[in-house]
Amino acid sequence: MRRRRFLAGLAGAAAGCAAPDGGTGRPGDPVVLTVLSHYGSEPLKSAFQKVLDEWNAGHDRVRVRSTPVRYADLLTTAMVRQAAGQGADILHPYTLWAGQLTRAGVLQPAPPGAAALIRHGFTRAAVTAASVQNTLYGYPTEVQTYALYCNMRLLRAAGVTRPPRTWRELEDAAYASARHDGHGNTLVQGFGLSRTEDATVVGQTLALLASCGGSYLTADGGRAAIDSPAGRAVVALERRLIERGASSPGTDLYRAFPSGRVAMAISAGWWTGSLKNAMGSGYRDVRVVPVPGPATGDRGTLTTGFLLGVNAKSRHPRAAWDFLRWLNSDETRGGDGPHTGDGTPAPRPTGTAPGRDTRLPGVTRMSALQFSVGSMTGRSRDMRALLGTTGDANLVPFLDALGYATPEPNGPHAQKAKSLLRKNIEEVWTGRRSVDDALRTARRQIDHALSGDP
Amino acid sequence: MAAPGGPARTRPRSRQTAVAYLFLTPALLFFALFLLLPLLFALLLAQSRWAGFDLADIEPVGLANFTGLFAHGATFLTPVLTNTFLYALGTVVLATAGAVVVATCIDNLRCQGLWRTLYFLPVVTTVVAVGNVWKYMYEPGGLVNGVLNALGLGSVALLQNPGTALPSVVVVQAWASLGTAILILTAGLKAIPESYYEAAELDGARPFTVFRRITLPLLRPSLVFVSITQFIAGLQSFALIIVMTGDGGPGDATDVAALEMYRQAFTYGDWGGASAAAFALFVLILAITLVQLWLFRRKGSEV
Repeated sequence: MRRRRFLAGLAGAAAGCAAPDGGTGRPGDPVVLTVLSHYGSEPLKSAFQKVLDEWNAGHDRVRVRSTPVRYADLLTTAMVRQAAGQGADILHPYTLWAGQLTRAGVLQPAPPGAAALIRHGFTRAAVTAASVQNTLYGYPTEVQTYALYCNMRLLRAAGVTRPPRTWRELEDAAYASARHDGHGNTLVQGFGLSRTEDATVVGQTLALLASCGGSYLTADGGRAAIDSPAGRAVVALERRLIERGASSPGTDLYRAFPSGRVAMAISAGWWTGSLKNAMGSGYRDVRVVPVPGPATGDRGTLTTGFLLGVNAKSRHPRAAWDFLRWLNSDETRGGDGPHTGDGTPAPRPTGTAPGRDTRLPGVTRMSALQFSVGSMTGRSRDMRALLGTTGDANLVPFLDALGYATPEPNGPHAQKAKSLLRKNIEEVWTGRRSVDDALRTARRQIDHALSGDP
Repeated sequence: MAAPGGPARTRPRSRQTAVAYLFLTPALLFFALFLLLPLLFALLLAQSRWAGFDLADIEPVGLANFTGLFAHGATFLTPVLTNTFLYALGTVVLATAGAVVVATCIDNLRCQGLWRTLYFLPVVTTVVAVGNVWKYMYEPGGLVNGVLNALGLGSVALLQNPGTALPSVVVVQAWASLGTAILILTAGLKAIPESYYEAAELDGARPFTVFRRITLPLLRPSLVFVSITQFIAGLQSFALIIVMTGDGGPGDATDVAALEMYRQAFTYGDWGGASAAAFALFVLILAITLVQLWLFRRKGSEV
């Protein structure tokens, strides 16, 4: 007890002021709320700043300031600033970290009013992703679902006329479209497997797992469930694709697909925006379809996302929640975006430059912001309204998936469990372990990590 | 009977001692602030649970973090510590052997300063640049595979294959640290008296015998220093691995202790586990260093 009191004292002394910066505090001066997000690069940086400018122009008493960092530095920055008593009022973490952040007491639960708005306005998957043990901790912002990207030019060249609907068709198309040079270097991957990042290893594996009804953790999130017939089937499929030369995990998928060196790949919805920019007219050959399942009609995929929550140490939580409601829940009366005189959305040409104002009546500012950069929120009604303004049919599968996608587990040790799963998947990909051995090891390691207190 | 010059001599000496400590104070304060304080904090964290966000949330857990490192299902012993040990051992063997050969050659060349400078250049080059250049050279379309292809051999994805990933990074680490070892060994070679070589020449000893019987034994103090410092650097290595393989992959083929500690603390929010791992690594480094010293001292070397 004495030790805990000593540590608390040490904390106070070391941290100095233990609350986030909230302005000068002088009477009459406005409250300044800070937002820590990964919106530090274009086009998100400008799009977010534009929304903040709109708020600041209409609210003299509460100003909002963005303090963005790179995504790779987001968790570390939040951690270090919080420990130093310099945490931002509003945090924008990846939902995978929600359990870790709430366990450390960083995020405060959403007030009842905000929670009701979120439960009412957002899809179930988005609400689950922003909740920990059924308590909502913020507004779901960008929501990603996974689907299959097909380069139809490469598939047609291999004699495949339509995107695959089953694993069997996927494998056949992958083997048919893969090409190699005389030294064994891969020229075209039939199905893009890549060690580039968690999303390209775990994300696509979990999307395939969901498509055959499996999950990698038990329903309560307390134990690993990947060592199952479904898990073994998915990882065996990936191993087969590599062994037979249809996949080459050493390639950077995000560079190889736009340059026409990958025929098919599973990835999230945000990629459409990047591909449009990178491929130019070549994007016409890209077609997105739902993740194939073992049999026709099998349906399932993964959803991930971010949430906007309020720091438990913010000195102005009410102002922060007001701002978040204005941004994520208040429906606008329409901006200067494209809409016809009677209020219905006007068609927007395909390939419209990201960052353009796409506000429509009845759409939240966050939905408009995300859509303007080729992403989505968990408000499917907003997304359908916005999709009506564009001719890009490739976004439809992602939107449809919001209705059936499985949220990524977000318990206190979710990041560690995900890293362990990734390592064991890679062990199979590289042939160092058999499917059975790797999944057994993954189960043992993940169970150990999930039980870690410490 | 009082000791000669007793109290009268003691007073100036104690004054001298006080002045000495006064001059030492800035250095001692620096060490206390940047070495002792973090060390004590790490020791406290190693016996606590802390997510890294709020100092008031530090919760004592005794030795649980240490037992957790070696529990069933934990990855710290295998493969993390195993990889770390192999990485350090590979670096020491390659860098020391390479440095002995190059230093001996340089010792017989003209313009020795120029050669030493050339070999020292990788040491002053940033690890990020070194790692990225080698990474591109190792890629399937890179220089190394280009040479293999030119020789009629197939391409090898050196950093993507778990069997070749760790050795590939070891080669880069050894190459990057060769300069320091060469510098120390050439200085060691210069310190060997020329008379021994003259005597060997008169006795008709062959060059290899001279190297084995004279150069190597007399170079041993420098070799001890090089191997110990290289081993410690290898055991603590972090930056090169993160640049070349990112996450210690493929799988956990290049996962080493420092990288694991970083991830435990900054990614998983398990500062207690990371601190316990740091102390475990400290014990390992200490043990290996003591063994190295013992081995060399048995053969009559002093460092």
